[in-house]
Amino acid sequence: MKAEYANVFVRGATTVFTQEVGVNLSRTGLTRKNAPVPNLPISIVIGITGGIRGQVVYSMDQTFAYAVTKAMIPNKLPSELKKLTNSAVSEIANMITGQASIALAGENDLIHLTPPAVFSGSDMTVDFLSIPTICLSFISEIGSMEINIAFTEGGGAR
Amino acid sequence: MITGMIVDDATVMRIRLRDILESRYKIVAEASNGQEALDLYEQYHPDFVTLDITMPQMNGIEALQMLVTLHPEAKVVIVSAVGQKKMVFEAIAKGARDFIIKPFDPNRVLVAIDRLFE
Repeated sequence: MKAEYANVFVRGATTVFTQEVGVNLSRTGLTRKNAPVPNLPISIVIGITGGIRGQVVYSMDQTFAYAVTKAMIPNKLPSELKKLTNSAVSEIANMITGQASIALAGENDLIHLTPPAVFSGSDMTVDFLSIPTICLSFISEIGSMEINIAFTEGGGAR
Repeated sequence: MITGMIVDDATVMRIRLRDILESRYKIVAEASNGQEALDLYEQYHPDFVTLDITMPQMNGIEALQMLVTLHPEAKVVIVSAVGQKKMVFEAIAKGARDFIIKPFDPNRVLVAIDRLFE
């Protein structure tokens, strides 16, 4: 998988976190694996079709997700924030993937994103695509997050 | 008072857009997908609509096309993360008055809606 895929997601994530959450996100690592299986308890899965096909899987813990929610809608009560956590992290994942898609599509391509799907808990069973994956790790003052990017070009993802 | 409808599948984004827009406009409806947006437009006939693209059931581009066909007077501003050039051109060609890319500056949203009524 091309290195440029990683770069556009790093740029997208740092931009979105600066603007929407008000924190600096720093990349701490890049690893390669065989599928975008997440390492942290909350996962947000976005499917990609069009010029590029595959999945992007965001992963974070509860504390991180709550801090993101609080930053996005600061005037809500803690009980309301807890209910809105899935919505907030979905939207953050959607914005980062959207930013990356703008860079990847360029002038002539069109890349479609599926609405984000959130999964959490130890009983999570999700079918992840078995395709080469780049896992980007990030750290910030509110905790850690990872982005698993699993793309194929032209051929079908299985 | 000018009325509006917010269409976005993310509750958090609907809350944020409502907070921004209610300083100047009356938000009469919220929808979380394209089909619901079409139904609520028939019910409330808002003066403007903010419309997301990536949504379940019926996406924003499909909803835009149907809305503008049924109601050529509809004033629709797209507010979406998927701001690819081809997508922006497609939305404008299908009748959107403006295209705001998420993440956005709140002033950009207000300016876009203000312009619809100048």
